[in-house]
Amino acid sequence: MSKLYIDIGSTYFKVSQKGNIEQYFRNFDKNILDDLNSKCSTIVNQYSKEDIHICSSANGGLSTLIVGLTNSFSLKYAINIAFNSGINIIDTVLYSKLESEPVPLEVIDVVIVVGGIDSVEKVFDEKLLNYLEKVNYQNITYVGSAKNRDFLIQNLENIVVLENIISDKLQIQEEALKHYLTDLYQSDIVGKEDIKQLYEITSNQIYSTPYIVNRSLPKINERLDVANPFIVVDIGGATTDIHYSRDLVNDNILTENGYDRLVFKKLGVYKSRESLVHTAKNNEFVFELLEYLNVTENILEEESTKATKTLMQLAIFLVLYKVSKHHGQYVELNLDILNSIVLTGGITKVLTQEEVEDIVLFFYKKILQFHHAPTTLLDSNYEIWTYGI
Amino acid sequence: MKVVTGVVGNDIHVVANRLIDISLEERGFEVFNLGVNTYLEEFMDAVIETDADVLLISSLNGEAEGWCRDLQILKSQYDFKNVTFMIGGNLGVGEMDPEQLVPKFQSYGFDLVFHQVDLNVGLDSLEAFLEAR
Ligand code: B12
Repeated sequence: MSKLYIDIGSTYFKVSQKGNIEQYFRNFDKNILDDLNSKCSTIVNQYSKEDIHICSSANGGLSTLIVGLTNSFSLKYAINIAFNSGINIIDTVLYSKLESEPVPLEVIDVVIVVGGIDSVEKVFDEKLLNYLEKVNYQNITYVGSAKNRDFLIQNLENIVVLENIISDKLQIQEEALKHYLTDLYQSDIVGKEDIKQLYEITSNQIYSTPYIVNRSLPKINERLDVANPFIVVDIGGATTDIHYSRDLVNDNILTENGYDRLVFKKLGVYKSRESLVHTAKNNEFVFELLEYLNVTENILEEESTKATKTLMQLAIFLVLYKVSKHHGQYVELNLDILNSIVLTGGITKVLTQEEVEDIVLFFYKKILQFHHAPTTLLDSNYEIWTYGI
Repeated sequence: MKVVTGVVGNDIHVVANRLIDISLEERGFEVFNLGVNTYLEEFMDAVIETDADVLLISSLNGEAEGWCRDLQILKSQYDFKNVTFMIGGNLGVGEMDPEQLVPKFQSYGFDLVFHQVDLNVGLDSLEAFLEAR
C-alpha cells in the first residue's frame, strides 16, 4: 500500500502520494484539519491512519535555553543536536558567566544543562540553582557528567537525566538528547489544538519539518542530480535553514548521519522581513549587490513581486556570507570545496534558476574571488522532505 | 593523569601529534587528542571539560607565538591552578635562539617549554615536574 505524506508549513501545505506532490495555500480562517479536508478530503479518505505521515513547521517549534560549561564542547554539541532535532529557537549561557547574564524573560520550553565528561566531579553547584530559580521553564534535562547527576536530581524537580552528550573521548553522543527533543516536540504539538486534531487522520508520530529534511539529506544525492559536498538552503517565510554535509566543516564534531543544520531565525522573508532588511543594509557588499541586480535601495521598502525576489536573493547572499570564513557563526563552512547548492522552501516558487545562479555567482566572485560557482538546483516540486519522512 | 594535546593554530603537521599520543598512552596518561588545527580556546575548553592535569601543545610550523600570546588572558578566566601548561616543537621560525624563545613562552604562561627538544626528553621532564608538584 502506498503512503500519503503531508507537510504543514507556515504558508502552504503539501500533499504527496506516489511521487506526485500538490500544494495548497493555507487558509488561516480555518483550522488546519478543516482546511486540509476542504481541499483534499478525497485523497485523505483513501488512506488508512497507518499510511498517513505528517510533518509540520507550523507551530513554531520549541524554545530552548542551554547552560553549558564551554563554548567548544558543551554548548557546541548541544546546539548541534538541538538544531538537528528541528529546534529553531536557541539561547545559550556559558556556566562561568551565569551570574552576569540576563535571565530570559519569555517562557522556555526546555532547559538543557550540560558539562564535563563522565569522570568529572563538581561541575555544577548552587550557582546553577540560583539562576534556574529565576528562569521560567517547562522542562529541564541534564546531559552532562555522570558524577553530577545526583546533585541535580536532588535539587531540581522533574529534571530528566539522559546520557552525557560528551563521550569519554570528548566526542559528541547525540542519540539520547535528540530522541528526547523530538519526543518533546511531539508533546508540544499535542498541546497545540490545531495540530493535535491531525491525529484524527494519522496514527504516526508528527515530526517537525526541519528534522525530516535533515533526515532526508543522505538520500538527496541518490535521487537528485547533485554532487557531494552539497548544502540545502531552505528559505521560507519564517526562518532560513542551511543543512550541510560535515565534509564542509573542520571541527571536532562527528555526527552519525553526517549532515547538520543551522538556522537563521532572523533571515526569513515574511515573518522576519525587517531584520532581514536590517542585516542587508549593514552588509558592506549589499549596495554593490543591488547595483548588480539593477535595483536601488528603495526596493527593500517596497511591497511588490520584484521586492520579494530581491529579498530572497539577498537572503541567499547573506546566508552564504554568514557561513563563510570568519563571520562568527558557530560553524564555518568550507565553501571553496562546495559542489552543489540545493534550494528548497518558498523560494523555489519565487525565483527562477537563473536568478539563483546569478546571486550565487556574485557571491563566489565577489567574496571568494572564484571564477566559477557550484551548480544550483531548485527543489521546485518541493519533494526533498518526502525522502526523510 | 589526564592530558589534553594537539597542534596549535593553522598547523597541519600531524606526525609528531600521533607520536605524542602514543608516547603519552605508553607512559600511562589518559590522552585527549584534539589533533591538528586546534585553537587555543579549544584547548582550554577541553581542559575544562575533562578536568585535565596537563595541557601539552605542540607547534611545528613556526607560528606558535601568534597563537599562544593570549594564554594568560584565558588562564585568568577560569581556575586552572592545578593544570600544567607545556609546549614544544619548532617554536620559532628558522634557527632561533632557544635562550630567547623559552623565556618568551614562559612569560605567556607555559610552565614547560621545549624548543626543538626530543619528545622523550620533554616527557621525562614533564613527569619529573608533575612528581615535584
Ligand atoms: C612533512 C612536513 C610537512 C608536510 C606535513 C604533512 C603532515 N600532514 O604532517 C607538509 C608538506 C604539508 C608541510 C607543510 C608545511 N611546512 Co612542513 N615540514 C615537514 C617536515 C619535512 C617533516 C615534519 C615531520 O613530520 N617530522 C617528523 C616528526 C616526528 O618530527 P617533528 O614534527 O619535528 O616532531 C618532533 C619534535 O619536534 C618534537 N615535538 C613536537 N611537538 C612537541 C611537543 C613537545 C612538548 C615536545 C617536548 C616535543 C615536541 O617531537 C617530535 C618527535 O621527535 C619538516 C622538516 C623536518 N625535517 O622536520 C617541515 C617543517 C616542519 N615545515 C615547515 C614549514 C615552514 C611548512 C610550511 C609553512 C611550508 C609552506 N611554506 O607552505 C607548511 C605549513 C602547513 C601548515 N599549515 O601547517 C618548517 C617549519 C619552520 C620552522 N618552524 O622553523 C619545517 C621545519 C621545514 C623547514 N626546515 O623549514 N610540511
